[in-house]
Amino acid sequence: MDLLERLEKARQTAPDAVARAATLAELESVEAALLGKDSDIGAVRRSMGSIDAALRPQVGAKLNEVTKEVTALLEERRSDLERQEAEERLQAERIDMTLPAVEYPLGVLHVLQQTIDEITDIFTSIGYAVADGPEAELAWYNFDALNTPPTHPARFESDTMYLDYGDPADEMLLRTQTSPVQVRWMESHEPPVHIIAPGKTYRTDAIDATHLPVFHQIEGLAVDEDITFADLKGTLHYFAKEFFGPGTKIRLRPHFFPFTEPSAELDVSCFNCDGGEPDCRVCRGAGWLEMLGCGMVDPAVFEAAGYDPEKVTGFAFGIGVERPAMVRYGINDIRNFTDNDLRFLYQFPS
Amino acid sequence: MKVSLNWLLEFVDLPTRDVGELSRVLAFLGHEVEGVETIEVGWTDVVVAHVDDVQPHPNADKVRLCAVSTGGDPIDVVCGAWNFEAGAKVAFAKPGAVLPGDFQIGVRTIRGVESHGMICSEKELGLGDDAEGILVLEPGAPVGQPLETLLTLPDVVFDLAVTTNRPDAMSILGIARDLAAWYGITVKRPTPNPPTVPGAPDMAVRIDDPVGNPRFFARQVDGVTIRPSPLWMRHRLRLSGVRPIYNIVDVTNYVMLELGQPLHVFDLDRLDGDELVVRRAEEGERLVTLDGVERTLSAADIVICDADGPTSLAGTMGGEDSEVIHTTTRTLIEAASWDPPSIMHTSRRHGLRSEASARFERGVDPELPPLASLRAAELVLETAGGRLRDEAVDVVARPFEPTVVRLTVADVTRILGEGFDSDRIAGLLRRLGFEVEGDNPMIVTVPSYRPDVTRPIDLVEEVARLADYDSFPERLRPGTGGGLTPDQRLERRLRELLVGLGYSQAITLPFVTSSDLEAFDAPSDHELHQTIRVKNPLSDEEAILRPSLLPGLLRVIRHNRNRGASTVAVFEQGRVFHNRPWNRDKRVPDQPVRLAFASIGVVGPADLAGSGVAADGASAAALVRRLAAGLGLHIEFHQDAAPGFHPTRTARITSDGNFVGYVGELHPHTARAFDIEDRVAVGELDMEALLGARRDPEFRPISPYPPADFDLSFEVDAELPAATLADALRQGGGDLVERIEVFDEFRGGNLAPDRKSLAFSVRLRAPDRTLTAEEIGAVREAMIAAAGAKNAVLRGSA
Repeated sequence: MDLLERLEKARQTAPDAVARAATLAELESVEAALLGKDSDIGAVRRSMGSIDAALRPQVGAKLNEVTKEVTALLEERRSDLERQEAEERLQAERIDMTLPAVEYPLGVLHVLQQTIDEITDIFTSIGYAVADGPEAELAWYNFDALNTPPTHPARFESDTMYLDYGDPADEMLLRTQTSPVQVRWMESHEPPVHIIAPGKTYRTDAIDATHLPVFHQIEGLAVDEDITFADLKGTLHYFAKEFFGPGTKIRLRPHFFPFTEPSAELDVSCFNCDGGEPDCRVCRGAGWLEMLGCGMVDPAVFEAAGYDPEKVTGFAFGIGVERPAMVRYGINDIRNFTDNDLRFLYQFPS
Repeated sequence: MKVSLNWLLEFVDLPTRDVGELSRVLAFLGHEVEGVETIEVGWTDVVVAHVDDVQPHPNADKVRLCAVSTGGDPIDVVCGAWNFEAGAKVAFAKPGAVLPGDFQIGVRTIRGVESHGMICSEKELGLGDDAEGILVLEPGAPVGQPLETLLTLPDVVFDLAVTTNRPDAMSILGIARDLAAWYGITVKRPTPNPPTVPGAPDMAVRIDDPVGNPRFFARQVDGVTIRPSPLWMRHRLRLSGVRPIYNIVDVTNYVMLELGQPLHVFDLDRLDGDELVVRRAEEGERLVTLDGVERTLSAADIVICDADGPTSLAGTMGGEDSEVIHTTTRTLIEAASWDPPSIMHTSRRHGLRSEASARFERGVDPELPPLASLRAAELVLETAGGRLRDEAVDVVARPFEPTVVRLTVADVTRILGEGFDSDRIAGLLRRLGFEVEGDNPMIVTVPSYRPDVTRPIDLVEEVARLADYDSFPERLRPGTGGGLTPDQRLERRLRELLVGLGYSQAITLPFVTSSDLEAFDAPSDHELHQTIRVKNPLSDEEAILRPSLLPGLLRVIRHNRNRGASTVAVFEQGRVFHNRPWNRDKRVPDQPVRLAFASIGVVGPADLAGSGVAADGASAAALVRRLAAGLGLHIEFHQDAAPGFHPTRTARITSDGNFVGYVGELHPHTARAFDIEDRVAVGELDMEALLGARRDPEFRPISPYPPADFDLSFEVDAELPAATLADALRQGGGDLVERIEVFDEFRGGNLAPDRKSLAFSVRLRAPDRTLTAEEIGAVREAMIAAAGAKNAVLRGSA
């Protein structure tokens, strides 16, 4: 057979042969059959040295042309088969992505910590520092310095836990409020003061669905030369709106605390019904939720802390942490907070 | 305090009866409304009837046959009660009447006799709990009148939370005064005007304790008859939450509720001598109070004595031997002023908390006794008959001096802001009963019923209260505090990192029990035994402050383990307490903040079968290493032991040599004491030391040159901590060492039992060049030499 015919035959049969290769391995056999030593093309290539010099350019050109064509066919097929085989491999690797085959362990911040952090962030965003103080505290800081008379009922053992420590005359107790931090801070800092002080507080309360002997408060104190009742209202309204939502309204009712005067309790409009529903699960129709105690710092507290009440004025407030958290999430039993059941903690991802 | 609206209306002509509006106003006056109860007439067709005749029932022993009249013909009715006879006035439900509970009254045949209606008990009318007998009305009750006209119905009762600084508001009169001030109207003071007979009380009074008893006032009423009070009074007392007893006692309670003055009534025939003496008790003196309890008195108690000794505990409770009894006829009505702290002491010490002591403790108007005793006498005459002597005993040991306060406009505006001038301030104060003279300063005389007002700031509060807190403007100005400190931010990142690593935050009650502590088996001088006890704990579970966070966390593990959780990982941050001075304030006990963690089960990712890395000493150490690496804390591990920790799986953590805490595995004995069978990974670290371990990062340029990696394997003493050898290798290798990691620990095989093999992978790199083979060899030799100093023998190298 004429060399050109052999090449032409190879060109003619190549597409079918290539297409029949179903795997990369088969394609390799096909490649050998088409381009290898014993193939038509291989035979022509081998004989190139021995053919007539006049024919050589024509055969050479044809050889190159056919080799290129066949090679292109093989490459195309190889690429297809590789893609196909890769796809099959990936298909075989299928996993059920809806199945949690591997789990990272879940950790959460305690819901009370989350509440404390949230309230803290509201106040630090308007320039408050965060203060801290001892929980085992002198009666002087917890009561006397806070203008609480020696006969005040809060001092009785039915309300306050006293500690067997040191000189009995010093009256060591577990602080019943975070307010002692006010005095400690003022003792060691010059005005102006803008602080909050989150922490544990203690009362002689038997444990039940609404009482724990230990609970959390966030104290607040602002002292400067020109602070008035308007600052107290504006600051606490800002807090209420940040915590409960922009539409939240507040109202202040006169109350009594030894360490502030005038004193007030602050109610916030119900975030659940805004006062509109008689059967509201949150406010039970009252429209308002009791949120915190506050007032203008009593001059006697400034005196105890070494500030001149003629020169400075200020306001203070104390926010309970457990109750807003219970109200907001509908937690019906305060003991959940200290049981630390994971089924409870996990309900409040942080 | 429960306040009846109808009673209030006797003292102030309120412009509204709207319950919502009044509740709001009461709240804005500072008297929080904790409840509102509406009292309606609960019946129809119940009238006052006269019992004409009472006869035995012909066919029954337990009931009687009565003839009653309501203005017309006598009506036959069968009645099972025996507490009345012919001539009594009773509440009669006519046939067709409906009683509370939709109880229909008709004509019934009882044992063969027709009964046309029913004579009612208080309970059947919904007026009280008394079902013993029928309701016997006062003799003057007008026959035929609907029963409800004897009462003021309907009514509304407000339950108010009166704050402890406002004893003046613990009465109908006091609340009326506040409401009148709010509305700018006048309050009607009662003007009792009972008939009198000439004469002075038979008993004189001497005050030996002017501090305890500034004033003693008394009136005498002779010829009283002890019997139940009229229905209207019993009803009012019940609405106020006070149980009616009989007329004299009811009158004292009524006047206390109405005017705020607690009263006491003596039976003059049961007193000895002709003089009452007020003095402090002698230590150990005894008195039987009218509750029948014999009390041992202390020198702090104030007593009223007759010739026979103490006969009443002042302001708190009367004595059994002089109290009014059913035969009493001659009465002495005491209205006195007592020293509040003394009364508080006495009522607390003897556990005698009463409506009277609650008022005396806080301060009763010292000018009230004459009026209150006259009002009481008037009501005694009305309910018990008798004759009031026109002279009274009035011994003043310490005359009342009104408080005068100097107030400037600036005192008010620097607290309340602008919008107050002297006219407005004086106007508001006058409405509250303060007398104001002058302009600026104002000289303010405080009314006798406001013992809480002594300083300018107290007046500022009164001005604010009446000006309405809601009317003040709001102002928001940024503070000067500066937000969180770097340490506070680090503390937050620490908690968040723990959370990210799968640990959940617990908050436990900060108390431990002695058995919790025993589980740690610590030597007697260990800090676990330097505990602080609560003097007045409510239970044994809340008696000892925690010296460690671990018992609380172990309880959390037990709690969750018992509820089916096989993997639990928790941490807590909080104070622990030790019986020694605190380095931050020597006056109070040691109470550092600590961070502790505990876990059981699998730590880190787990597959479907739940397998992964187990919680144990190694994973506990890994957690601390991860925290340190993630937060830039420079800490060191030292093989050690600690109470409650596994003896060979515990590390002491330090930072630059300063103690930080312990980490490792819980001792199985300790775990078992908390009912935990699993291995427990634990750690407890001092927060201050931990935060102090933070070093600010220093940038080192990333070297573009290739590293030189090789491994070193040593045979060492089995006890030698890997960290010690790694440190030695690092030191020996010098600056070119980029990383040293342990990749194998091996015991056994052909090694002696007290030897082990440790293999390290080492990476060297220079910042400025490719290391030569000579340099690498020199470092390697130096490292091997340094290891040799730790008795480590090179086993072979790659």
